[in-house]
Amino acid sequence: MSGPAVPPAPPDGVPPVDAGIGTGTQPRRTSPRVVLVHTATFRQARQLVPVLIPIAALIGLDDGLLTVVVMAVVVTALSLGAAVLSWWRFGYADGPTAVVVTRGLLARSVRTVPNDRIRGVEVEAPPLHRLLGLVRVRIDAAAGSVGASGEELLVDGVPRAEGDRLRTRLLARRPTGAPAAEGAPPPEPPVEEELSRFQPRWLLYAPLVGSYLVIPLAAVGTLFRLVQELPDAVVPDLVGPEPSPHLLVAGLVTAVPLLALAAVVGAIVVNWGYRLVRRGGSLVAVRGLLTRRHTELEVDRIRGGTLSEGLGMRWVRAARVNALVTGLGQANRRGQLLPLGPRAEALRLLGRLVEDPGPLTGHPRAALRRRLARALAAGLLVTAAGAWAAAAGWWWVPVAGVVLTVLGVPMGIGRFRALGHGAGPRSFSVRSGWLVREQAVLQRRAVVGWQVRQSVLQRRAGLATVVACVGAGSGGYAAVDMAAAEVPGFTAAASGPWAGTLAP
Amino acid sequence: MSTPAPPVRDPAWSLSRSAIGLWVTEGVIGTLVYGALVAVFVLFVPDGGPVPVLRWLLPTLLAVYAVTAIGVRPRVRFRVHRWEVTGEAVYTLTGWLTRTWTLVPISRIQTVDVTRGVLQQLFGLATVAVLTASSQGTVRVLHLEADVAQRVADDLARRAELVRDEAT
Repeated sequence: MSGPAVPPAPPDGVPPVDAGIGTGTQPRRTSPRVVLVHTATFRQARQLVPVLIPIAALIGLDDGLLTVVVMAVVVTALSLGAAVLSWWRFGYADGPTAVVVTRGLLARSVRTVPNDRIRGVEVEAPPLHRLLGLVRVRIDAAAGSVGASGEELLVDGVPRAEGDRLRTRLLARRPTGAPAAEGAPPPEPPVEEELSRFQPRWLLYAPLVGSYLVIPLAAVGTLFRLVQELPDAVVPDLVGPEPSPHLLVAGLVTAVPLLALAAVVGAIVVNWGYRLVRRGGSLVAVRGLLTRRHTELEVDRIRGGTLSEGLGMRWVRAARVNALVTGLGQANRRGQLLPLGPRAEALRLLGRLVEDPGPLTGHPRAALRRRLARALAAGLLVTAAGAWAAAAGWWWVPVAGVVLTVLGVPMGIGRFRALGHGAGPRSFSVRSGWLVREQAVLQRRAVVGWQVRQSVLQRRAGLATVVACVGAGSGGYAAVDMAAAEVPGFTAAASGPWAGTLAP
Repeated sequence: MSTPAPPVRDPAWSLSRSAIGLWVTEGVIGTLVYGALVAVFVLFVPDGGPVPVLRWLLPTLLAVYAVTAIGVRPRVRFRVHRWEVTGEAVYTLTGWLTRTWTLVPISRIQTVDVTRGVLQQLFGLATVAVLTASSQGTVRVLHLEADVAQRVADDLARRAELVRDEAT
C-alpha cells in the first residue's frame, strides 16, 4: 500500500441502521470482478481436473494437442460457471453487533460472528486481485480452547476501499474502545509509530533459513508434477542420453548457488516492503511483493512473543519474532512481527511487546545427561543393528550408525545449552530447541494454568518439566527438565499469587 | 524405588474408591480385546509362519499386560491420583508412571463440564473437566462420585462467574 494512514472514513454508502440489532443491515455483495479472478485461477474448478483426466481417458481421447485445447476450454467454462454461481450466492453484512456471511450453492450456510469475538482483520491482495483493484478480507474470530481451524470468515474480492472500510469499521467497534457517541468519528486521528522496517540486506539471511529454502524446492516439485500430468505429445523430449557423472557434479555445483538465489527471491516475494507500525491500539504489519498482506493485531490481546532462531540463523545472528495473541488462529503466520532480521532488532522488537525478564537460568547437569542419552539413542541403535547387518554385507549400516552417534554429541550439547528459564517482575521466559531454538517471553498475566510433569526417570534425576499454559500461540510453553526444587519458586515468580498452591 | 520429594505439593483429596473397580474393569476389557486378537493370531496363522517368535512372545506380552492392567495399575493410580479445590484454584495430580500436576486458577476458568461415560455410570462416577483458553490448560478430575462431581462443577462455575477477569 502506498498511501499513508487511511483516515477512518465515515461509513460511506451505509444507510443509517437501527442501532442495536443487526437485522437492519442489508447484505452486500462482493465485486463481480472477482468472477474473473476465480475463473482465471480455477478456484472452484480445481477439484474437477483429477476427475476430468480419467474421463477423457475413458472416452478414448488420445494425447493430441486437440485434446488439451478441448479440455482447457471445458475446464475454463466449468470454472466460469462455478465462479459465477458462487459469486451470486455469496453475501456479507457487517451489522452493528455482528458480521453475517451467507454462502453455499445448494446448502445455504449462514455464519454469524459477534463483533466482540473478532480478533483481527487481515486484508491481502494477491497479484490478480491487485490487477483488478480487489482485495481479500479475512476476519479472525476468537478460537476457543478447542481446534483453531475454521474460525475465520473470508470475504473474497471486494474493492480496495471497501476492504479498508470493513477493516477500520470492524476494528473500531470492538467493545474495548466503543465510543459512547453513535456515529461520531473517533476523536483523535490514530497516532502512527513505525516499529520496524525491512532492510534489503536482511535478505542475505534467507539462504540459511529452512522455510525459504523450501520455497524453491516446492516450486521445482510442482513443476515436475505438472509436466507429468500433461499429455506426452506436448512435452518436448528433454531426456537425452544417460547423464555422465561429470554432468551430475556440475549440476550439483550450480544447484547450490541457484538454491541460495531462489531462497533470496522467495524472501523478496514474501517480505518485500515489510513494515510494522503501531496505530492506536493495533499493531499493523504490511508485507509482500506480489500478494500484499495487511495484518492487524490488537495490542491489548498480546500476551508476549517468541524469538525463533534456526540452526543456520544462529551462525549469522538472525532471528524472527512472533507475537502471541490470545484467541488468534494460525498464530505462526498471523502473529509474525519480524519475518527475518538481525537478532538485535528482534530483541528490540520483543522488548516492545513484553518486558525483558532478565537473563535465563540454565538447567542442571542431569538435564544434559538426559539430552545426550536421547540424542545418542538413535545412533547407538543403528550401530548395534549394523553389527548384525554388516555380517550380511551391508557395511554402510554400522558406518551410518557411528556417524549418527558422533553427530548426536553436538546435538545433545546444543539442546542442553538451549534450555533455560527466567522470571522478572512482570514477565517470564522459557527457551528450548536446537534445530529451531525458540524462546518464549510471556507476561505474568498470560498464564492460565501450570502443568508440572515428572516421569520415573526425571524423578530419579531430580528434574521436572513445567508447562505454562497460555491461551495464545501453541497453548503451552515448557521449561524442560528444570531442577525439581526450583519449580514452586519459578511458578510463583512467573504468575499470580494463586500459584502459591503449588508450594510444598 | 526411593522416592525423592515431589517437585510440588500434592493435592489433598483422594478419589472415590470405586475408581479402582472402574480401572480394573477397564483393564479386564482391554485384556479381553487383546486376548481375542492374540487368539486369532495363534489359531489362524499357520505354524512356521512369518515370524515364529511371535507365537510365544504375543501370549507372554498379553499375560504381562493383564497383570499390570488388572493387578497393578489401578491400585498405583488410586494412590497417585489426587485433587483439590482451594479458594483460588483447581489442582489435580494424575498419572501412574509419569505424574502430572495441573493447576488452574478459578479466575481463568472458561467452562466446566461434567461427563459420565458408560462404565462410569455403572460405578456411579463422573468426570469434571475444567477448560481454559489454553488447549493444554485443561484440568480433568476423573472418577468422582456423581453427586460430588455435580456439586464441584456447580460451585466452580458460580465462582468463576464471580471472579472472572478476562479468562484469557
